[in-house]
Amino acid sequence: MITRRDFMVSGITATGVGIIVPPVFAKSVFAATIEDVHNDNVLVILQLGGGNDGLNTVIPHADPAYLQARPTIGIPADKVLPLNAAIGLNPVLPGMKKLFDAGEVAIVQGVGYPNPVYSHFEGLYIWEHADPSMQQTEGWLGKLLASQLDSQGHPLTGCALGQASTPSELLAQNATVSVIDSVPAYQVQGGAGRRVAAPALYRKTPGVYGALFDQALTTAEYGIAALGDSQSRYTPSVSYTPQSTVYGSKNSLATSLQLTAEMIVTQPSVKICHVVLGGFDTHQDEDTRQNALLAYVDSAVSAFMQDIANHGMADRVVLMTWSEFGRRVVENGGKGTDHGAAAPVFVVGKPVKGGVFGEQPSLTKTVDSGNLQYNVDFRSVYQTLIRDWLKADPTAVLGASFPELPIIQTA
Amino acid sequence: MGNANLKLSRRQVLGVAAGGVVGAVGFRYLTLQLPGAGQPVASAAGAGGAWASPLSTRAGLAAHLLRRATFGYTAAELDSAASMSYPDLVDLVVNQQAQPLPQVADATNYQAVVRAWYEHMATTTAQFPERMTLFWHGLLTSDYRKAARLPFVLQQNELYRATGRSDFRTLVNAVTLDPLMIRYLDLEESTASAPNENYSRELMELFTLGVGNYTETDVREGARAFSGIRTVLVDANGQRIQPPKLQGSTPAAYVQALQQLISQGATFKGVLARAQHDDGVKTFLGHTGNIDPAQALDIVLSQPACATHIARLALVQFCTPAPSTSLIDSVATQFRNSNYDIKTLMRAIFTNQAFTSPDAYRSLVRGPAEYMVATMRALGSPSLAAMCVPSGAAMDQILYDMPTVAGWPSNQGWVSSGAWLARLNFAAGVVVAQRGFPDPVDAVHTQLDGVVGPDTAAVFNASQSDGDRWYALLASPEFQLK
Repeated sequence: MITRRDFMVSGITATGVGIIVPPVFAKSVFAATIEDVHNDNVLVILQLGGGNDGLNTVIPHADPAYLQARPTIGIPADKVLPLNAAIGLNPVLPGMKKLFDAGEVAIVQGVGYPNPVYSHFEGLYIWEHADPSMQQTEGWLGKLLASQLDSQGHPLTGCALGQASTPSELLAQNATVSVIDSVPAYQVQGGAGRRVAAPALYRKTPGVYGALFDQALTTAEYGIAALGDSQSRYTPSVSYTPQSTVYGSKNSLATSLQLTAEMIVTQPSVKICHVVLGGFDTHQDEDTRQNALLAYVDSAVSAFMQDIANHGMADRVVLMTWSEFGRRVVENGGKGTDHGAAAPVFVVGKPVKGGVFGEQPSLTKTVDSGNLQYNVDFRSVYQTLIRDWLKADPTAVLGASFPELPIIQTA
Repeated sequence: MGNANLKLSRRQVLGVAAGGVVGAVGFRYLTLQLPGAGQPVASAAGAGGAWASPLSTRAGLAAHLLRRATFGYTAAELDSAASMSYPDLVDLVVNQQAQPLPQVADATNYQAVVRAWYEHMATTTAQFPERMTLFWHGLLTSDYRKAARLPFVLQQNELYRATGRSDFRTLVNAVTLDPLMIRYLDLEESTASAPNENYSRELMELFTLGVGNYTETDVREGARAFSGIRTVLVDANGQRIQPPKLQGSTPAAYVQALQQLISQGATFKGVLARAQHDDGVKTFLGHTGNIDPAQALDIVLSQPACATHIARLALVQFCTPAPSTSLIDSVATQFRNSNYDIKTLMRAIFTNQAFTSPDAYRSLVRGPAEYMVATMRALGSPSLAAMCVPSGAAMDQILYDMPTVAGWPSNQGWVSSGAWLARLNFAAGVVVAQRGFPDPVDAVHTQLDGVVGPDTAAVFNASQSDGDRWYALLASPEFQLK
């Protein structure tokens, strides 16, 4: 296996495929060996878009207040997959239970921040920018990429997969991001002439968008070359089952995670991969909708973790889930829940120290008339992953220090 | 979310600064030397890395307006527009009367509706009403997903076309009772005993006021005010009738029964079901009383923030990616003082110095739908609409299926490595599908104002066929901008 260090030291030819490197990157790759963090650890971010209901994901089945608040959508104690005497997983999460039992899932309870917001877009902004005051203009992963993981702009260090636009978490000054919906589509189509003409149209575009356009095309050109033979170097070892019909989900998480595995297996430079599944804004019919979405997450993440392990890379990969908020404790009239506050975060992978961390927030001593009080700042999770997993400096990214969580195994 | 939507990357900030300086110094009086027909295309990039603005010329300004207020133009349409004074042209554009969408064979098939809409965008001479239909679709968002086998997408599309240039008060009242919106933001099951907050929140946060102009209490009280809205089916005389039953029927029989009712003039509409409505006293945005949906909307529209919010969003789509506070306030004041007249809003934008100044030239990025329809119009090929739905997805714009209730990205938000490949590949597919090309050198003048950067000029001039030349034009950065 070629390590990231090998790759950085010897440059692009380390992939052994003789691809053409745009001069800007050839220079960068060597320069990067001096400044950047070097290890083979990869962080996968799984965004659950719309506000996942934490209380029906990790269920406080022993608390009578739970079923009182959720008379129609509550999941009774005899149905949950118990984690301990107090809490259990939604029964559609058997794969996550299995990983938990194997010690590969850290469930951080009650994750949030002070003075919670109930707007999707403010909540997203806060999580994406690691800033409850909403003053920061750069995404936390973008900052991390630009300042420590990839200061020279290697295009396949930060990747947004199974989507078409750059997630705000990855946007920052000098952060170069490859946005790849699928490898077969990540091509210049139309023949050899187009493959020459397309990038040639974008070498030095005038005007305010010039650098942005040119960077997009240069990034694409590089990625196309690097991925040219990836399908011959990666075969999925498990069956990823795409489900395009899950309520509200607009992309296939299984396909995105299979692409993530392909990127990790074939591209030594990859450090950050972002995937997303939407549809969690369950104001109505949460019982059927959230269950379908969580079941899909369960099967896709299980397949991904197994595939990564089968490729001998289990020691290299940690996956974190997040959502812009949890949901209101008391259900509404449409078998749904409205926007809420704190919720659990899952950190998954062999390098993870499994268990339940943080406290389940009280269902009765709530904030803002019926929302869960956080007890772990979400930036504690970020800080732990930056320092203990990616071995980078979190202070430069977060601007302050937060209590760390013992969720990553030490050596 | 504050200024998040307005954020420019560092590269763009640097670019804006450079462009601004150069524009102020040199471009206002620049005369372009354009090659004649059949001649190679010359590079006409300006100094300092900015585009050489042609907006001081009548033709240049007319083309600029048509790229923004419409989905593009043919050479003949540009000639006609350039023959008018700019104020007359703006008046002509904003006063266009909408042309109805041609009949869609299956009103319950949203993909057929979207395809018909793409064709209509490409063919209607009433371009501005169509552009406004897309603008409102991106602002007062709804997706198709909860309206399976119902004609709600078509009805909302027709509503925005018919009402999208009237006044915002009429539009927002109609939207609140629109069946697709009722489904999309969960009004349908909101009851007095358990009001659903989804519509109340997004109405204020995204559709009218913006964050910071209401409280969480207003969201909850607003949900009470909007409780009890239901969708009913009415016949051509407005009399309520029973919709066909899906249960116990086959999907085909159900669709057929529904289509028959629709062909006889039946439509769905939202009504306030008093029995389901919370008629208690609420305190909403500082007003206390037994507030119903219409009164709640009056209260929302009485907030000064409403005109400001709409003006800002319209400016980002039509004028400048980062409008200044004074520009927003100036446009918002005219909009507010006109009692939310949408034509007044758009005329205020199109005639603003921020719209006509050299800095405005190519300062916006065409959205995927705009880019694809402009392509069809430049080539005169509306049949390419079949390509637009899958290609739009790869560029991150699926009509009636936006990523979130906040709609789509804008300007720099459209730019990513994958989305840009999808744009180039759309151009590649188009030139394969196209039979017979208009003169590409003429098109560089009409579509790109003859202002092309050195890269595009080089690729264009090296091209061996009209197909290759059109590919260079359509895939060029110049054509992606407006």
